[in-house]
Amino acid sequence: MDNTINFGIDLGTTNSAIAKFVKGEVVIFTNPQDYGRSTLPSVVGYRKDKILVGPQAKTFLEKDPKSVVGVFKRKMGTSESFKIKAINESRTPIELSAQVLKELKTFVNTGETLESVVITIPASFDMIQSNATKEAGHQAGFKQVVLLQEPIAASLAYANMKKIKDLGDGQWLVYDLGGGTFDVALIKIKDGEMKVMDHEGDNFLGGTDFDNMIVEKLLIPKIKEQYSFENLEEEMKSASGKHNAKYYVLLRRAEEAKILLSAKTSAEIVIDGFDDEDSNEVDMEVTITRSEFNELIRPSIDETIEMIKNILTRNSLKAVDLLFTLMVGGSTYIPYVRQRTEEVLQIPANCEIDPTTAVAVGAAYYAATKQKEITKDDKPKKQSTISIRASYNKASKEKEELFAARITGNTEGMFYKIVRQDGGYDSGLKKLTERINEDLPLVENAYNFFTLTIYDSQNNVIETDVEPIGINSGFGISGQPLPEDICLEVDDYDHPGQTRLALVFQRNSVLPTKKHMTFPINKPILKGNEQDRIWINVYEGPQASLPEANQSIGVIEITGKQVSRDIAKGSDIEITITMSESRDLKVSAYLNMANQEFKDVFNPKERETNVNLLKEQVSDLSEKLDEEIDHATEKEDYETAGTLNKLKKEMRTVEEETEGLTTDDVTDKRYQLEDKKRKIAQAIDVATKHKRLQKVKEHYNDTKVECKKLLDETGNDHERKTFNDIVSQEEAFFSTNSPLKIQEKSDELHSIIHQINWRTPDFLTRVFNWLKVEHPKMNDQTQAKSLIDAGKFAVESQNWDRLKEINYGLLDLLRKEDRPKFEHKIGFGI
Amino acid sequence: MQEFRKITVKVPQQCLDLVNQVFEIEKKISQINEEHSIHRNINKLRDLIENELFKGTGGTIGLSYHNPIGENYSDTRTDCEASIAGTSSDNLEIVEVIKPIIFYTYLEDEKMMKAIVQKAIVVAKSKEVTL
Repeated sequence: MDNTINFGIDLGTTNSAIAKFVKGEVVIFTNPQDYGRSTLPSVVGYRKDKILVGPQAKTFLEKDPKSVVGVFKRKMGTSESFKIKAINESRTPIELSAQVLKELKTFVNTGETLESVVITIPASFDMIQSNATKEAGHQAGFKQVVLLQEPIAASLAYANMKKIKDLGDGQWLVYDLGGGTFDVALIKIKDGEMKVMDHEGDNFLGGTDFDNMIVEKLLIPKIKEQYSFENLEEEMKSASGKHNAKYYVLLRRAEEAKILLSAKTSAEIVIDGFDDEDSNEVDMEVTITRSEFNELIRPSIDETIEMIKNILTRNSLKAVDLLFTLMVGGSTYIPYVRQRTEEVLQIPANCEIDPTTAVAVGAAYYAATKQKEITKDDKPKKQSTISIRASYNKASKEKEELFAARITGNTEGMFYKIVRQDGGYDSGLKKLTERINEDLPLVENAYNFFTLTIYDSQNNVIETDVEPIGINSGFGISGQPLPEDICLEVDDYDHPGQTRLALVFQRNSVLPTKKHMTFPINKPILKGNEQDRIWINVYEGPQASLPEANQSIGVIEITGKQVSRDIAKGSDIEITITMSESRDLKVSAYLNMANQEFKDVFNPKERETNVNLLKEQVSDLSEKLDEEIDHATEKEDYETAGTLNKLKKEMRTVEEETEGLTTDDVTDKRYQLEDKKRKIAQAIDVATKHKRLQKVKEHYNDTKVECKKLLDETGNDHERKTFNDIVSQEEAFFSTNSPLKIQEKSDELHSIIHQINWRTPDFLTRVFNWLKVEHPKMNDQTQAKSLIDAGKFAVESQNWDRLKEINYGLLDLLRKEDRPKFEHKIGFGI
Repeated sequence: MQEFRKITVKVPQQCLDLVNQVFEIEKKISQINEEHSIHRNINKLRDLIENELFKGTGGTIGLSYHNPIGENYSDTRTDCEASIAGTSSDNLEIVEVIKPIIFYTYLEDEKMMKAIVQKAIVVAKSKEVTL
């Protein structure tokens, strides 16, 4: 049973952290509300109804100093307290430190209750200050508090990292330069014990000062050089200054640059977004070099070195007497800090430990050597006597939703907190009463999860019956679902010359919705040539049907006359289709090459029929009808032939009337004709569907037989499995009666056949022999000859992989000759 | 009982840097009067980031980003790291956005979920009260 303390806390002036020793390693806990950050700003803020600890409080530190307190560590052990305006009460440094400790407890996600802990204190803390720290620990609910000096903690972290069991007798310096304070300590091992022999510090020196310096001493002067400002410093730094907001922007950018300069020798800072006094827009990029930055901070660093010199003198030590200077604190990442100290003091700088977590890590290592002095109580988490009844909307389109709850039972001394699971909302710690009313902000189009946690006065979690709060925003809220598929007509590359439908939105999709599709154009559109056309044709109706049987919603026609330059075959067309809740369809087509956009808005309730397209469609349909009649007659399917023949008369009427239409016809004639055309198309579809279905089924069965044969001869396990998967679904896809779906399955079987063939020596040789005969037709005769020679060698040496490659190569040379000439109708396809 | 799984998300910093750059370009473009052609590329980039970047890696959708400019800022907003400009800290709105909020979107049980992988870095200021 593990009876050591194991938990260590770095209770810092600017930042705090908590760590645990587990199985030989130290784990640093991260802030559950601050994605991966392992430090907690030591800042406490009060509002009328809640307490903020950490980053949220820090945001308000500067501008709300009456209700937000930081750096209270400096006042530990004094009788001074801080008057808090928001609650009209005072808080002592002990109470504030306790609040930070309580918050750190919530980082621990191992489910255990913390009763013993090691807390670090500065080397400069006396008895009273140390006791104050212990008291803060007790107020936070720790029964046992063991104190450890910070420089010792850092040294322990180093020793453990290097796995030094015995540091021997030696002395070194611990140099701690953090965000807001500087401390240096002389550590010595004497009689096997590590002790702080001397120390110095400056409570007002740290990394944030450096950011300020960059803005004040480097950026502002450079801005003033180029632009006219009367008093830029004041306008930026004063809270009531005109450019105060920009000051903070520059401060952030300066901080980023400072961090970059630790790795690179120069960094750029962009300054923009405001005007000078002559109304000129400030827009400049300032380069800061590492040497400029070093020059800037040199006085501060030299100050720290002076303090070290004092220590050396006081203790009659020389540089050679010291092993190294151990670098601790985030600001020691700056190369110049290490350089300069080494340079002046002639003592090596030791940067081997992680400067930001060293103290917490060391505290945890120490905690692993200390026994718990309270009995390890396996008592379960405090059972609550409170019950929570919550009510809220589970789905919403609003930006916020009200969460209301009624609490029954004794709530005295309890607090609650609601946080959003993604880390974007934190209600803050609030006193628990019999009602909770919170407006919870929602992330749009996502499922938002919130947790409500109840705490006792020491921030220990109290188990309750409350469930996680889940609110669905936007996405998936049913408005009107789409009644039918929305499709785009495209050229069908499997059946050249014909078209098919590409699915844009599936029926029952939730509106509003949007889709982008990009296609390469399959024919050139020459500028000025009206005959070259691309159609963007949107239909409503089942995707599996033929286009002409569906309801056309709208058409955009792009002709050569409209394009600003020749559109080459292969260039892209980007189509964006948006449908609003009220089913307005916005279609836009962008031609990459011409940088032109064509757009239109359609509504299924209003009709638009493009006469040119209608004429083409009618003519196509008439041809098709004749073909189908011929086909049916050939096959002696007299029933179908009869049905189709009956349609001929009507088809002829429609043809004649359509011919007579002009493109600017203002009557409803075009709509009537389109309806008639559609009805005829549907009738043909119905009559011939059977035939198409039969044909496709036959083809499938033939393919299946061929495939099975090949599999039995030379198939592998994977191919057999794929085949079996397809065949096992036969009943399912046959019952859809969709020729398209069945065709898809045939294609899949074809893939298997193709795969097997192209590794079968016999097949490969036959292909090669045929290609040899076709040799004269090939494009590049030299290339062809060399490939054929190589092929012959491959056959002889039975190198079938090579032969496969050679065959592909030869086919490539043939393709252009072989390509059948047919017309693409739409301009792009799949 | 509704349950949710706590997930640990680690998005490579390069992806976040990429998104931050796209966001900056978008910000700059919105201030120029251009004929929408650059807007289109930004939208395409956005589309690729939101839908294609992590496609196929088992249930994930992608990254999305949000510009909170003009929105209210209060101490409950842990999706932003803010500095406060001006004299007052009441009634704050976001006046500058240095980095956007970046979400990692993923599907869980057919529910669209979002996790914050980058908090926005903003400057907030008290709303001007016009009398």
